Amino acid sequence: MVEKKVRIPEAGQWPDKLALPALAAGAVLTTVGFLMAFLFAAPVNGAALDTPELVNGVMVTHQQLISQKIFYFHMPVAIVSFVMLIFSAYYGIRFLTTREQRFDTCSRVAMELTLLFVIFTMVTGDLWTRFEWGVWWTWEPRLTTYLILMLIVIAYFVMRNSIDDPERRATYASVISLIAFVDVPICFMITRLIPSSVHPVIAREGGMTPDMAATVLVVMIGMMLVAFGLYRLRFREARLAERLQALKDQLED
Amino acid sequence: MGRPSAFAQYKTLLAKDLRQEFRTREMLTSMGIYALLVIIVYGAALALTARGIDIANMGGGLLWVLIVFTSLLGLGRSFAHEKEQACMDGIMLVPLDRSVIFLAKATANILFMLAVEVITVPLFYFFFMSGQPVAATFFWVVAPLLVGTIGMAGIGTMLSTITMNTRSRDVMLAILFIPLIYPLLYACVTATTAAIAGTEFWTDFFVMPLVLACGYDVVMLLVCWVLYDFVVSA
Amino acid sequence: MNAIEAHNLSKAFGTRKALDGVSFELPEGAFLSIFGPNGAGKTTLLRVLSTLARPTAGSASICGIDLKESPNEVRGLIGMISHASMLYPDLTAEENLVLYAELYGVADPQARARELLEAVGLSHRRIDQVRTFSRGMTQRVSIARALVHDPRVMFLDEPYSGLDPHAVDIFDDLIASVRGDRTFVMVSHDLAKGFALCTHALVLARGRVVTFAKKEDLDFEDFAQLYRDTVGMGVS
Repeated sequence: MVEKKVRIPEAGQWPDKLALPALAAGAVLTTVGFLMAFLFAAPVNGAALDTPELVNGVMVTHQQLISQKIFYFHMPVAIVSFVMLIFSAYYGIRFLTTREQRFDTCSRVAMELTLLFVIFTMVTGDLWTRFEWGVWWTWEPRLTTYLILMLIVIAYFVMRNSIDDPERRATYASVISLIAFVDVPICFMITRLIPSSVHPVIAREGGMTPDMAATVLVVMIGMMLVAFGLYRLRFREARLAERLQALKDQLED
Repeated sequence: MGRPSAFAQYKTLLAKDLRQEFRTREMLTSMGIYALLVIIVYGAALALTARGIDIANMGGGLLWVLIVFTSLLGLGRSFAHEKEQACMDGIMLVPLDRSVIFLAKATANILFMLAVEVITVPLFYFFFMSGQPVAATFFWVVAPLLVGTIGMAGIGTMLSTITMNTRSRDVMLAILFIPLIYPLLYACVTATTAAIAGTEFWTDFFVMPLVLACGYDVVMLLVCWVLYDFVVSA
Repeated sequence: MNAIEAHNLSKAFGTRKALDGVSFELPEGAFLSIFGPNGAGKTTLLRVLSTLARPTAGSASICGIDLKESPNEVRGLIGMISHASMLYPDLTAEENLVLYAELYGVADPQARARELLEAVGLSHRRIDQVRTFSRGMTQRVSIARALVHDPRVMFLDEPYSGLDPHAVDIFDDLIASVRGDRTFVMVSHDLAKGFALCTHALVLARGRVVTFAKKEDLDFEDFAQLYRDTVGMGVS
């Protein structure tokens, strides 16, 4: 049996040099996106109101139009959080096949960022429901899915903390990250597809105009860069902590 | 000495769980009493408000709350015996496919949960719904109950294998179990409610959720089946 | 053919090494005692050899069959007696043995279970639940359980813990009577006892082999001194 040499991710190599520039670029792009959202992207359906008005039988005010701007941040953040979950599950598979602790570290760091971005998603999503629908919470499919995802990610970390044996902890964490990765799309599908008499599915986004798409894209790239920068920095920190622990262990011997 | 077939080993392991339960009646009694206690709590909680039509609308949801928490209790216990005298090591030393362990344990859990449901669902009906006419479609609740139980037992078996090695395992099981089964729960509650209410277009709210719940079962059981080897060998 | 061959066996996670390049060869029919302080990797070595844990590197074989490549074949060749009985307390002694006999695919599980209970002298408690047994009796049923598929290699992991002196004597007699041409590997804290039983001795410290030798080449006093020196612990 020929064992293939596995390339193990390590901190302190070239991607780390890009981490800080990526963070800076991400911050700039997000700011640009923020400005674009207000100055460049046209309101949906060209709506610009000075006084409350009735649109499609719904009272629309200027305050509600602000909620549209939240969308430009809500969607990219939500997508980035799911991308981080994909990375976490990917490194989970890598761990299960190689049993190399480093992959568990990667998976954990990716999951930490998932949590961070899921929280952003929840906050922006909640602002959205407050301004758009006038309630603090509604069991809308996307919001529900992200709430469930947040709870799973929190459970992931609670579980990690309640296991002492590092190898067992890593195995279970990888398995949970994989199950989460499978569960979340199913959750979205089920909450979305099942007709609900109480809370009708609100699906009224009717495609994006080019200026909207451009704004979303700018914010999305910005957020991706931020996520990348944070990932590398956090990974480097985790590696330093591991190396410190290894040195301490050596001293004990 | 040839190795026995995987199916023979599956039957042996399942028979072991059933025999043990038959002898101690530990899980069935604790789950049954717990279910009864939840019903009593419902009685207090709904004493003033719910009458007739309200219960018909909420019945599905209340029933599933009962089932989820009762199952949680049973699932948490399901590996207690394996842990007690390191029996899990004994089983792991046998040349057998690890997924057989998963299937046997999941089947045992399905049977225990169904046994408890056979008692609690009529009790629930007796306490909360006997005062009003039954919809003709009522008996269709069996379908979502079955599909939901299979899915919950499958993923619950996986998770209780994980949590038996963690500190404060019962709480850990609940924290992992409830978010992960949320989609299944949502689908099953919708289907059950539709069957209980039995209004004119009840199939609209019954068929689709049931199909989705089946899809959840298939995907999740496959994932658990594939990953079980890693979990149980850790 | 050697009963056990280990080449450079290592078990590590991250930078922590539970086993670090353990190599030895044990001929068939031998009795190996493994000594070492707590955390030396004795139990890890036993778990790796009995397929309960995966080695990170290196290879090992039992009766010529590779551990990593065909773990299920190896499992059919080994038996394990540990300080935990691996018996279901709510089942009877016979039911426990029949359960394991069926899982291993023994030809006539009932007959095999009775035969083994006879051998460990517990036929009269056949239909009693294991929960009602004393520690010593449980350990005897545990011996029967480990023998159910007639393994070539037996692993003993601290089998004496919790046994009173009388039970220890019965245990030793039983082990001697079932010895046959089987190979035994025992982990024990009891230096004198482990040394008395063994044909080969292995001392582990920090996951490495300190000494591996035949008993003929060792003198107990020297060995005990060596053990104290390398391990830094008194004879327990």
